[in-house]
Amino acid sequence: MFEQAISAMASVVVDPYLLGLIFATTILGVIIGVLPGLGATTGAALLLPFTLTMDPVHAIAVLATIYVSATFAGSITAILINTPGTSAAAATTFDGYPLAQKGEAGRALGIAVISSTVGGIFSVLILCFAAPLLARVAYEFRSPEYFALTVFGLSMLASISAGGAVKNLIGGIFGVWLSTIGAERVTGIERFMFGNYELYEGLHFVPIFIGLFAISELLVQSKTVDKIVKTVSMKAVKLPTLEDYKKIWKTILRSCGIGTFIGVLPAEGATVASMIGYSEARRWSKNKKEFGKGSIEGIAGAEAANNAATGGAMVPTMVLGIPGSGTTAIILVGLMVHGLRPGVYLFTEQVEKVYQIFGSMFVANVMFMLMGLYAAKLFARVSLVPTQILWPIVFALSVIGAYAFQGQLLDVWLALIFGVIGFFARRHGFSVAPIAVGLILGEMVETNLQHSLKMFDGAWWMILTQPLALMFLVFAFLGLCGPMIFSWITKQKD
Amino acid sequence: MKNIYLVPLILSIFSLAVIAIALQLDTSPEMIVGDSMQARSFPIFLMILKLILIGVLIFQFYKNNPKPVALEKYHTWGSMFLFLIFYLLTVYTDMFIGIFVVIFLMSILWGERRIWVAFLTATITPGMVFLLFDYVLKIRFPRGILMNLYYG
Repeated sequence: MFEQAISAMASVVVDPYLLGLIFATTILGVIIGVLPGLGATTGAALLLPFTLTMDPVHAIAVLATIYVSATFAGSITAILINTPGTSAAAATTFDGYPLAQKGEAGRALGIAVISSTVGGIFSVLILCFAAPLLARVAYEFRSPEYFALTVFGLSMLASISAGGAVKNLIGGIFGVWLSTIGAERVTGIERFMFGNYELYEGLHFVPIFIGLFAISELLVQSKTVDKIVKTVSMKAVKLPTLEDYKKIWKTILRSCGIGTFIGVLPAEGATVASMIGYSEARRWSKNKKEFGKGSIEGIAGAEAANNAATGGAMVPTMVLGIPGSGTTAIILVGLMVHGLRPGVYLFTEQVEKVYQIFGSMFVANVMFMLMGLYAAKLFARVSLVPTQILWPIVFALSVIGAYAFQGQLLDVWLALIFGVIGFFARRHGFSVAPIAVGLILGEMVETNLQHSLKMFDGAWWMILTQPLALMFLVFAFLGLCGPMIFSWITKQKD
Repeated sequence: MKNIYLVPLILSIFSLAVIAIALQLDTSPEMIVGDSMQARSFPIFLMILKLILIGVLIFQFYKNNPKPVALEKYHTWGSMFLFLIFYLLTVYTDMFIGIFVVIFLMSILWGERRIWVAFLTATITPGMVFLLFDYVLKIRFPRGILMNLYYG
């Protein structure tokens, strides 16, 4: 098994086509990451239709490369123009931009590049070891366990970064309801189709995701057309000095652990990881006063954590079919479209492909480091592409991408409709990621609940007699009610 | 009624409508469903859960009194209107004519003053995308004025 994994990962390095693909996608990912508004999720949603004709490993490698490189690249604009290219880089602005204003933009970028690379590689290594172990545990799962696990995944939506817990849960339930559109799997009864037989097999994820992430972002960006961006000049990216390394190595290691752990939690992602990574860096620092004024520990804490979350988020995605973030929700769709069924099967029947994907992520981390060190200045210029040119192009890519998935115009209309729905949702403080995650998990929840009910002759409470299922349901309950209970206990103590 | 309560109201109406439609769904014979659920049960359960959460949301609004959302400028509403134009042009002429017109008008709407830049963006983008999808990915586009000329 170990030898097979190593040889599969090494095969990535000797496959010139795959290497070229990762290289090109890394450039694209960095460009996507530096363009404010076009984050990893939107980028992956736009690229998904292009991967349809690719070999499964190449397709997932492309999506995973976009994920890791765009997550890193968000820091370039966060440091140089105080605008995070992705939400995961928001915490980087706290210290990155002040350091850049002091004339040390190159140093700030150097710290960000090294921290991101260490975080990314660390999480891929954890992914390589943790995913097969978790898959072995998941081998024991039956319908009640899967039902409880998906409920746990949905409960974690409450703590997704944007929006409030209640709004996120409403979004998640809306997403689950969307999954009920079409013919019901057991009885074949048509639900909410209103005579559209193209919907018989349900809503397809690709056009919905393009709508929710790309089109809705276009409408959100239309509000920022008058925004004037101030850039900070930079000569070249500087590698951290020995003195810098001495100062940040502990922070990087801590953030690697935090980021990977946060990423593994269903529905959590790089944004939460970077915020926690940053606040923990501040908490443990001896120079707390420097934070907010250009602390290199602050940059390292946020950047190592957000890239560590990328590998972590792939663990539940590939092992359990539960996405760890909006971008991994799209990667999960990519896996399913290419016939790579996430779960135990993937780790028993298609081990080679799994490790090739892990190997691709490893290579992508090294490539974005090189690009970050030697071409960050060039990429920073891309962020100055006028919005009035960029977003009409995104519109074209979105509608053609939605059409290309199945060759149906209905998908284009669905993408536009869900773009408008996503925009109004975001306008009122609802995040779109819970809708996407709910849509993916919806079928799993309903099907596993049906199977569980059949298993226990309709006695739903028997689900609670299964130890693992009970554990996940307790976690779900704690995830939903824990903060309220703990704050009540604290109040009582005070 | 304050504007902030409009969202919970719309969400509640939506949930009630879903429940009403779900109640009209066919039921399956006992021998198929067995001890499991009818097709209508799960969506109804979801909507009841949603209504409870909407109740909590209303309580939060009442307690925190959030500021109403400011109305967007014409760029946003204009972009949505362009989606409608895209639909009409795609249905009645050709998808690529729709894309060309929308890119051109959107560039102008979002503040591009150089007409030739908007025109070039509107021409080159669909052209490049068409070449990529047609030659490389072998996707056939829906028939329309331009596609009929191309496919014959």
